[in-house]
Formats: sequence, C-alpha cells, structure tokens
Amino acid sequence: MTTSAKDTIKETVTNNDVVLFMKGTASMPQCGFSSRVAGVLNYMGVAFKDVNVLADDEIRQGIKDYSDWPTIPQLYVKGEFVGGCDIVTEMTLSGELDKLLADEGIAFDKDAADKIREANG
Amino acid sequence: MKVADEITEKLTAAFQPDELRVIDESEAHRGHAGYREGGQSHFKVIIRAPAFAPMSRVARHRAVHAALTPALVGRIHALSLEISA
Repeated sequence: MTTSAKDTIKETVTNNDVVLFMKGTASMPQCGFSSRVAGVLNYMGVAFKDVNVLADDEIRQGIKDYSDWPTIPQLYVKGEFVGGCDIVTEMTLSGELDKLLADEGIAFDKDAADKIREANG
Repeated sequence: MKVADEITEKLTAAFQPDELRVIDESEAHRGHAGYREGGQSHFKVIIRAPAFAPMSRVARHRAVHAALTPALVGRIHALSLEISA
C-alpha cells in the first residue's frame, strides 16, 4: 500500500464518524453487497461518508490492506473497522448495530431499525 | 478441482466443522458484475464449528479467509459467510 493511500484512508476514517468504503456511491451503488449496506444505513437515517473504491485503484487495494479484509464493502465507525456486508446484516438484525451506534453517540432512527427487524424476523 | 470442493476441503481441514454447506450461487448472479460463464464465482458458505466460539464476528471471518488462502479468495468474486459456533 502506498503511504498516501494509507494516509488518505486513516484521515477519512478519523475525520468521519461513519464511513462506508463501497463500489459506487450511496446514491448509485454498483454492487449488490455495497447497495445493501448503504441501504441499511440510509434507511436507519445514519449520516455516513461514502467512498467509491471504483474511482481510485489505490484506495481499492489500500482499504483491503488497511483492514486486512479482502472484500468491499467495509464499514468503519469512529475509526474502527466493523465488518462487511454479512457482518453488518447480522448486526442489524441482532440489534448489535443499534448498540454500537448508541454507544458511540451516533444518531440513528431506532424505529426504522426495528422495522428492518420486523420485516426480516 | 471445482472451487466448491476446494472450499470444502480447506474448511474441513482447518475447523473440523459440525456443519458445512458450500452453495454455488453463481447462476443467481448471471449477467451481474463478476459473473463468469460456467459459474463458480459466487458462493455462500454456512459453517458451524466449536473453534469459532471464542472469536468475534470479524475474527471468525478472518479465520475463514485465512483458511481459504488469499489465492482462493481472490478467485471468488463474492463470498457470503454465515459462521456460528
């Protein structure tokens, strides 16, 4: 990983409470897995910064090295790697994501989160 | 060797799972990004093994990725994991 890619990633996850490294953008995802995570965050009303890895090859590879995680999407909360699509989905359904966001003082719509669980329960 | 067989072999050796299902979902992604003719590009793995009990979610996924080796993970376009202890 180049120093600049690592610095850019570190700066991005440090300066934004919630960051999603994804294929495409939050408004136009280009992969089903990225789309699912962005969709959950949007629905739960979580403000997040989206980083489109398809727009920058160095970031696309760099983020995999940074987290020691081979796939995209990748969700970060307060600088900490949370997981990819499977983990975010599981945490949403189990309520762990609510707890994480609440513990970190990040605003989200609890009713919307409950609706996701009702629809997938 | 088929990719599914390779996944099964590596995960069985690494974790001696109580349950292991390797599902080739490639056909469901026909026409999408990453689809290859002949399939073997999109997999769902359901694995249950006592070895995962002390691990966090992220650690469980990392352990599976490591057991599969980067070379094999790199050949799979999409890998969905359902891991339990």
